[in-house]
Amino acid sequence: MTETRTSPVSAPTPGDGSPGTGALSPLGITGWSRWGWRQLTSMRTALVLLFLLALGSVPGSLLPQQGIDPAAVQQYYTSHPALAPWLARLSLFNVFAAPWFAAIYLLLFVSLAGCVVPRAFRLARSARALPPPAPRNLGRLPQAARHQTALEPAAALAAATAVLRQHKFRLRTGDGWVSAEKGYRRELGNLLFHLALLALLGAVGLGGMFGYKANRLLVSGTSFANTVTALDEFHPGRLVSSADLQPFTIALNRFTASYVTSGPDRGQPSDFDAYLSYSAQPGSPVHRDDLRVNHPLNLDGVKVYLIGHGYAPVFKITDGTGKVVFNQPVPFIAVNTAGLTSEGVIKVPDARPYQLGFAGVFLPTAVDVGGTLESVFPAPIAPRVSLVSYKGNLGMDSGPPQSVYQLNTAGLTRLPVAPRPLAVGQSIKLPGGAGTLTFTGYRQWISLAITYDPGQVPALIAGLAALAGLLLSFFIRRRRMFVRAYAGPDGRTVLDVGGLARSDPAGGFEEEFAGLADALRAACAGSSTPTTTPQGERD
Amino acid sequence: MAVLAAAAALAVAGCAGGSIAANTPASNGQSFVAGSPGTTVFKAGAGPLAPAVAGPVVGGGKLSLAAYRGHVVVLNFWGSWCTPCREEAPDLAKLASDFTASGVRFVGIDIRDSPPSAEAFTSDFRIGYPSLSDPGDNLALNFRSTVPPAGIPTTLVIARSGRITARVIGGVTYTGLKSLIQRAAAQPG
Repeated sequence: MTETRTSPVSAPTPGDGSPGTGALSPLGITGWSRWGWRQLTSMRTALVLLFLLALGSVPGSLLPQQGIDPAAVQQYYTSHPALAPWLARLSLFNVFAAPWFAAIYLLLFVSLAGCVVPRAFRLARSARALPPPAPRNLGRLPQAARHQTALEPAAALAAATAVLRQHKFRLRTGDGWVSAEKGYRRELGNLLFHLALLALLGAVGLGGMFGYKANRLLVSGTSFANTVTALDEFHPGRLVSSADLQPFTIALNRFTASYVTSGPDRGQPSDFDAYLSYSAQPGSPVHRDDLRVNHPLNLDGVKVYLIGHGYAPVFKITDGTGKVVFNQPVPFIAVNTAGLTSEGVIKVPDARPYQLGFAGVFLPTAVDVGGTLESVFPAPIAPRVSLVSYKGNLGMDSGPPQSVYQLNTAGLTRLPVAPRPLAVGQSIKLPGGAGTLTFTGYRQWISLAITYDPGQVPALIAGLAALAGLLLSFFIRRRRMFVRAYAGPDGRTVLDVGGLARSDPAGGFEEEFAGLADALRAACAGSSTPTTTPQGERD
Repeated sequence: MAVLAAAAALAVAGCAGGSIAANTPASNGQSFVAGSPGTTVFKAGAGPLAPAVAGPVVGGGKLSLAAYRGHVVVLNFWGSWCTPCREEAPDLAKLASDFTASGVRFVGIDIRDSPPSAEAFTSDFRIGYPSLSDPGDNLALNFRSTVPPAGIPTTLVIARSGRITARVIGGVTYTGLKSLIQRAAAQPG
């Protein structure tokens, strides 16, 4: 019997069991999680997270982003072959989809929601609350006044109540006193601000769930439709299916780029115009638009931005059997901005007897600079193409999908072709009867960013509401007035008036109080003797 | 109340956070959406009706999908430049020659391609069936309200009733597609 009683008692004695175990620590799991929650939802943590979020988006503007300009990322890979894979491992080419960015965002979201939701309830209660009962000694309040009146205390109080009501105070009456409070709109503003903040978070989430981002490179003279197979990149929100894409089609009729031709800014772009034809859905009328940088096309709420351009030299390739196996523009990606020197590859997987591959550069204005050919101006004044030719296995008949901007040379042999830059109309005859390549011309391409964010308008509205709420809460003071009326020692009624402004660092309540005190005195006037006493001169 | 609010916040945050870390198709400058591979199968009579697409055929001529109503149809979205399409092409060509006698029709839809490349592909892989040419993606767009092709290649199997019974995103294999064809063939017209 005794043994069964001692065992539970002996458990918590010192030295029995390690002190470090969580269950026995003074806080316990509940305590720790409560502490953690309080830390997470503190204003300081939210501010730190907000700062981290801002800091985390910095690489997004310093480094090219996959979702915005994949061509630029490709270019970065080419120019920084050692660094780029490491940056990619840290998701720095796709910052806004990086796990660490998501972690910061999520924590901020939880922190803000955890802070704002309980506070919103508190504010809502506070906005509905009645003023507190009048303090016993009104003379101790920051603002105080005393009047004497011939009216009975009850009548004086009724008169004071009427004045305060007339001044739109919220009233609470008791035995011989009146409390009044004004400026509840401050709390409403505060509440509006907090609710708008929540709505803003929700709107951002909405955009993330139902929105999508896509990219498409479009060569002039071609068209595409907003469907997944036609897109180069597609980043759907969690609840977006491929059936939800707005079914517009866009054709690029012509693209013109103007460059500064003289002065220190020579070669800088001055204007980009992409002349588009588009229709919002199959069968609807075709409209025309001059798409320019930062002037997106709005189609059913989807914004289409012009974000890049380049050259697509056109090649016609005849294989060893004499058949034309390739005849199309090939987008080349600019590797420098000054002369728009562009790199690209051509893959001809169905050439016979050998598959053919070419890697090369397109120079819009080729000039011989000390023995090497360089492009000195971005406009196509003297376009040349220089290519390296390969034959063999392109690795396209099996294995993982390939980038269209890279040639896998593992199964290829380089053909001994004298490196000679081609002008429009010139050809390379490949040795060994492998075929012929002709540079037949060039076109321009544009890259389009397609973004759909249904949370954008709600986010704007929520942002404006938050601002309005903030202004209300800044400019409206909550102030209280108290009145006590009682029979004085000389039989006359004493009217004590006290005032208090909450959260009033800027001041300004003194005049209002003086005005109100005067109004109260006047209301109880008749045979009254005013003895207004400022604070500190009594007692 | 606070616990409830916290739970709600977590739930909302969970959804929004998911969008950021959504499993988007790998995009390494490939310049096309490869799609996440997978097969969707519809119950008999439950799949959407395939749209009546029609247009010019690679190599010349015209074709309307409506002409194949009453047949089991295999519809393959492909491009000569796409590695998984080239990988599956021999299997598709063999399936087409094996099943044409039993009334199965194969139709390709050639996406983001140029006529010489598409024709070279067709003769290279000895593709015996016609392919609709879709340079402006208008045919693909017609499938948006049914089973949109969510990557290249995508293969749809259409029953005799005209209803889509299966969608395969990514390359198909001989045996895999064969079982889907037989399943569609077993469904009543």
